[in-house]
Amino acid sequence: MQKIYLGVDVGSVSTNLVALDTRLQVLETVYLRTMGHPVKATQEGFRELQSRLPQFEVLGVGATGSGRNLVAAMLGADEVKNEITAHAVGAAHFHPEVRTVFEIGGQDSKLILLRDGVVIDFAMNTVCAAGTGSFLDQQALRLGIPIEEFGHWAIRARQPVRIAGRCGVFAESDMIHKQQMGYPTEEIIAGLCEALARNYLNNLGKGKEILPPVVFQGGVAANLGLRRAFEKMLNMEIMVPEHYNVMGAIGAALLAAESMKDRPSSFRGADFILDGEFETRSLECNGCPNQCEVVSIHRQGQVLAYFGDRCRRWDASLKSSKVVSRELKKAAR
Amino acid sequence: MRVGIPRGLFFYHFYPQWKTFFNRLDWEVTTSPPTNKKMAGGGILTAVSEACFPVKVLYGHVLELAGRGVDYIFMPRLVSIEQRSYICPKFMGIPDMLRAQIPGIPPLIDLCIDVSRNEGNLYRELDRWAKKMGLRPGRVRKAWNDSTRATCELEAICRRGYTLGEGIAIWEGKTAVEPGPGDLTVGVLGHCYALNDPLISLGLFERLREMGAAVVTSEMLDPQKIEAAAARLPKRVFWTVGRKMVGTALMLDEDPEVDGLIYLTCFGCGPDSMIARIIEHRVNKPFMLLTVDEHSGEAGVVTRLEAFCDMLRRKRRLELAHNLSPYGEFLYSH
Repeated sequence: MQKIYLGVDVGSVSTNLVALDTRLQVLETVYLRTMGHPVKATQEGFRELQSRLPQFEVLGVGATGSGRNLVAAMLGADEVKNEITAHAVGAAHFHPEVRTVFEIGGQDSKLILLRDGVVIDFAMNTVCAAGTGSFLDQQALRLGIPIEEFGHWAIRARQPVRIAGRCGVFAESDMIHKQQMGYPTEEIIAGLCEALARNYLNNLGKGKEILPPVVFQGGVAANLGLRRAFEKMLNMEIMVPEHYNVMGAIGAALLAAESMKDRPSSFRGADFILDGEFETRSLECNGCPNQCEVVSIHRQGQVLAYFGDRCRRWDASLKSSKVVSRELKKAAR
Repeated sequence: MRVGIPRGLFFYHFYPQWKTFFNRLDWEVTTSPPTNKKMAGGGILTAVSEACFPVKVLYGHVLELAGRGVDYIFMPRLVSIEQRSYICPKFMGIPDMLRAQIPGIPPLIDLCIDVSRNEGNLYRELDRWAKKMGLRPGRVRKAWNDSTRATCELEAICRRGYTLGEGIAIWEGKTAVEPGPGDLTVGVLGHCYALNDPLISLGLFERLREMGAAVVTSEMLDPQKIEAAAARLPKRVFWTVGRKMVGTALMLDEDPEVDGLIYLTCFGCGPDSMIARIIEHRVNKPFMLLTVDEHSGEAGVVTRLEAFCDMLRRKRRLELAHNLSPYGEFLYSH
């Protein structure tokens, strides 16, 4: 039976699963659109993974991404890590000498600086998601171009048009303005890629020492236009790893492998994941004036975990008597 | 007489002093409860939209006190609390802003506290207020002078390793939970009213401690050493809090016990936009600027804090493996 480490990255736009073997080599990767349903996407992804790897035993599970807690409860993850650490670990696994990681995902972008394989500094976009995957998706849809071809259009351009990249709303109105003036679509797309690269470097890279080798990963790394724009601006080669779009999941699997050693995995098993009906619910707790919005994940009506309660009493109620949880339910009404 | 002191802004520095002052005048003092979402929501609806979140939170506290039927609300007009230094300019207008925007607000005691030149202004202000209230000026002056001891008491408590919020609880006779030692030590910078209000800071201290990091704030350090460190800048910072932050950062940067620094800033803070940058460029240790605002989701803060602590731990492991100086020239050359 194939022994694997499972890594899951549940992002805003995509949900990715990877299986690593005991030598930490990538066996299989699954990339799916989250489509607003992280639980369903994970189930689907796991089913897909199972169809490709008929017989396997899970030695450890790592979860990352903004939906990591939800999915960790569902899978029984051994390691739950933030995306920054996961991406850095993933990048350093394939390129041990990497000193800079650009990661642009669906909703956020990160710049990670490493020295000797260890994160020494990082930056994340602050309030605005301009220039991330969801903005590019939206623009591709508006222009009627499949997102996979977006970057290829950009490199066909003879001369990029100047687009304002500071803000997603400005960029879109600028693009529409240029399009109505008659600029070819290729040149507008190339201009957008340059604007986004400029914005990224200005916003995240300010005061940071960007040293080669640079690895560019995350779903947006598929965009050849953006990669070229970075190369032009930094005047250095930008590497895009083979599994660029699932590096977070790979990192999560590696972290799980690192933390497992000899202890048994708390993985809940394929039947638990695939045969169960999972459901998420939210409620407003009236136990105190904080009015926390508490989210719970259920399987066949049974609660697996609670999230979002500041005081943690909902979460703690899972481990305590039924009376306490009944009282809490009353407080929610 | 019953006076309400809203739990916001410089409450975290001066509550013991202000409470003592009114108690000496035989007034009853009441405070608003710790910030909750309902109060914050009320503040957001009432305050001018451009104000920073802590100011909006203050509105929530004033609304709460107004609803409790206090006779007066104490809201000093803070201009300067030490010589040649100033508080954020927004603060001097706060009593006027509150009066203009909260209809039916109880009368405000808006003593103007401005000691930028000398203490004379403050005493004249106390005399003016005493006259207005029909109190003997000598008694008011004495009450004020006696009350300053409370600030020293609070400072002494915090020096033992407590945050201001915890320090106030201890000052009031409550037993604070002893923060356990962590395997990491993180210096936390920022305005007292942002750091010590868990709703604004999204529970920053608690979260860091849960992640195994001991927290150091400027109140736990020797103020003279902070001043001396801040004096290394080519130009003196004339904001009280800003200078304290610069000094604290430079001091902690040289402390081998401290692994990294976090600066919590509220979106739209004018002085911080400059001070945080100055610090970022001057320190060699890992530094993270956390920007929070009313809509800030906890997930974003948690991810950043987790990643920061992870970074510090992995880095230390690497240093142990290499036995090298952690902040050699190859790291931050700027």
